Amino acid sequence: MPDIEYVVQMKGITKVYPNGVAANQGVDFNVKKGEIHALMGENGAGKSTLMKMLFGLEQPTDGDIIINGEKVNLTSPTVAISKGIGMVHQHFMLVSNLTVAENMVLGMEPKSKGFIDYKEAVRITEEYAEKYNLHVDPNAKVRDIPVGMKQKVEILKALVRGATILILDEPTAVLTTQETTELFRELINLKNQGHTLIFISHKLNEIKEITDRLTIMRGGKSMGVYNTADISKEEISRLMVGRDVILTVEKDKAQPTDTVLKVRDLVYTNEWNKKMLDGISFDVRKGEILGIAGVEGNGQRELVDMLFNLNTPDSGTATVNGQSLIGTSQRKIRDMGVSLIPEDRMTFGIAGAGTIEENLMSDRCFKPRYNNGPLFNLKNMHDDSDQLIKDYAVLCKSRGQQVGMLSGGNIQKVVVAREFSCDPGLIIADQPTRGIDVGATEFIRKKLVELSRAGAAVLLVSADLNEVMELSDSLIVMVNGKIAAYFEDTAVLTDIIMGEYMLGIKQQSEEEVRRVQHEE
Amino acid sequence: MKNKTMLKFEILRRAVAILIALAVALIFIFLCADDPLYALECLLIRPIVSNGAINFKSILTILGRTTPIIFTGLAVCVMFSANQFNLGAEGVILLGAFLGSLVAVYFPMAAGLHSVVCVIIAGIAGGVIMLIPALVKVKLKASEMVISLMLNYVILYVCMHFLNYYFADRSKGSVMTYDFLETARIGTVVEGTELTYGFFIAIIAAIIIAIFMFRTRWGYAIRMIGINESFSKYSGIKVGTIIIVSQIIGGVLSGAGGAIEILGRNTNFRWNALPGYGWTGISVAILAKNNPIAVPLAAIFIAYLNRGCELMSIYAGVPSEMIDVIQAVIFLFFAAEQFLSGYRQKLVVKEAKEEISQKNNAQMKGENA
Repeated sequence: MPDIEYVVQMKGITKVYPNGVAANQGVDFNVKKGEIHALMGENGAGKSTLMKMLFGLEQPTDGDIIINGEKVNLTSPTVAISKGIGMVHQHFMLVSNLTVAENMVLGMEPKSKGFIDYKEAVRITEEYAEKYNLHVDPNAKVRDIPVGMKQKVEILKALVRGATILILDEPTAVLTTQETTELFRELINLKNQGHTLIFISHKLNEIKEITDRLTIMRGGKSMGVYNTADISKEEISRLMVGRDVILTVEKDKAQPTDTVLKVRDLVYTNEWNKKMLDGISFDVRKGEILGIAGVEGNGQRELVDMLFNLNTPDSGTATVNGQSLIGTSQRKIRDMGVSLIPEDRMTFGIAGAGTIEENLMSDRCFKPRYNNGPLFNLKNMHDDSDQLIKDYAVLCKSRGQQVGMLSGGNIQKVVVAREFSCDPGLIIADQPTRGIDVGATEFIRKKLVELSRAGAAVLLVSADLNEVMELSDSLIVMVNGKIAAYFEDTAVLTDIIMGEYMLGIKQQSEEEVRRVQHEE
Repeated sequence: MKNKTMLKFEILRRAVAILIALAVALIFIFLCADDPLYALECLLIRPIVSNGAINFKSILTILGRTTPIIFTGLAVCVMFSANQFNLGAEGVILLGAFLGSLVAVYFPMAAGLHSVVCVIIAGIAGGVIMLIPALVKVKLKASEMVISLMLNYVILYVCMHFLNYYFADRSKGSVMTYDFLETARIGTVVEGTELTYGFFIAIIAAIIIAIFMFRTRWGYAIRMIGINESFSKYSGIKVGTIIIVSQIIGGVLSGAGGAIEILGRNTNFRWNALPGYGWTGISVAILAKNNPIAVPLAAIFIAYLNRGCELMSIYAGVPSEMIDVIQAVIFLFFAAEQFLSGYRQKLVVKEAKEEISQKNNAQMKGENA
């Protein structure tokens, strides 16, 4: 075999989706053997599309893909895997009811006498875990293992299938600082063993730390390839968004007043009999942003569900200005001035097949302003929708466009436009900027600060450590359904301290934690 | 993609679907007809043209026959829009027809008022009976599809029981009620055709339902629940209530449609099996893609096809079951989202490329200037 410099060559790739979006326009993308190559760009820049084509999930409309010098036609992931390409998705593709070993061999199960040879599956898992220094427990059920280990399982899954080119889609999005450090050590180890890694990320620090070269995409086109060492963070940021982005949000000191949200002793046990909330108590006051940090899966989602009556706790209370939230209909909760930016925006945030206007009006269409007797007042609806689209800079053709066809950042802007424009007294923002572009992120963060300074109480739940530390006035850390720490002032915090609390290495005393209950 | 291109494509897609279906039908016609060409003429042309002239009576009859399936089509539209796979229109239209008939036979009233009362009672009964699948769905999370499907047979046999033992006219040769009082009949528009005033009521119903679905908060809620129930709940829409409301509306439409049908084209009630209008209503709703305004058109299409098959079986010896074959093929292609998607993709790509080059040109001009 001739010595080939590039293991992956994508030439003049164009992809037009059935909805008319030209996600890639003549993109060239080359990866050298044995390098860690970053693929960067805002959401909607076309990174995911490009990678989906490399993994055979989508087919290019135009252009060639050349793997190891051989022109290939990647019609399905099966074909891509046979060419040595593996992908670790941002949202893990694991069967949570099966064990690690079972997941590992899914679809290629070792058999003996017609039955699945489970012992062999365990042996394979252990062999690969040893070889690549990615330690997992083969017999643990996937639903019981921490996020970091799930990711290792995903990586191992690709390796077992013979992958030499690994695509990692925002691998650190769900990890703590410590876990990220560990992951990077493992990735470098993989690189040293001759694997090629394609690393998709928004996080500039990580890119600088681990990658050799990087390709920047913007608006479906490649903005060029650079040696990571030769390019500054500021320049990357400028190439990605075409302007200098201020990555910190300026805000005045909070002057909290009355308690708005009061949560006491919330307990919730999930269907697997795991205690997800174990006596949570805290207050959020008017004019402050209280952040909830923590590794995902430590009860944050359950907590938010309880506050919006999407689930019922075993015991405990949650009130807004003295009125209970538990068991109250969403209509009434919204009437009480509570708004929610849901974590899962595609399930709760929008009706994808509906128009932008329909999505903006979902919480208010019954109000007198939008009705003339039994009929809609279309004029007011159109006017207000257009105004919101303008105010929140939603990039679209018209208010009649389907929301599902917008990019992630613009979809989130539609959600935020609705949730922020209903004059909320309490905003619950659950992962408000996850997976969206820098421009939209900045916009949403500024709006959050603005609203809190204008007198709203804000509860911010975020797995993005930077975000909670940057935005919150005070902050609690959730570990195993409990509050492990409360910090009255976030200015003194570092990610090292946070990591220690988030991973349960340190824990504050009950008295210290109780300070977050401002009202007895 | 621009809406205009999209529309053009949709029309083309449907036309091709119909052509393919007819081609398949042709194979069967050639297999079983003595004179295939004449059979084809019966199917396609004779419903509207006979003896070289346009046959208005036949056209009006086709329109008249759309009445019940417009009502059930609308009922299914509303329920399917809320993602409720309620198949009860079939039984409820029978219930409406039966109760409407009883009022028409036993409660003398002034002309005009009488038929209105019959239809209203039938509509209310339809709405009430649909509460069963709706409430069971919302309160107990049982599938509305199973419940409503079974409900059809319960309604049929309960009605048959009462017809046989209490309301049958013993002087007649078969089981039927006494004749309706003249005051209750819904008149024919043109003598000698099957077109009754019921057809116009059906068209008005279609317009009202279209306004309801697209211009009111309840219709909006129904559509949003249909698209994404979790989203609707989170937005503060009363999901349970709206699910029940959608099925009540379906029941009212089916029940009222039953009474209008029976009082228009019959002199007494003599149905002894499920009439099939509910099933056809599902086809109509699918053809109309749950758009109330398209329901009358879809109903006319199906009625036309039915009439053609009827003529074919009378004059050309083709079994009338043929229509089921043709309908099945058409639905196969209509419902198949991916049908002709390759061609659609080409259209999309072409348009996107034009757009990009336009943008680039504009940019270049901007830079040159």
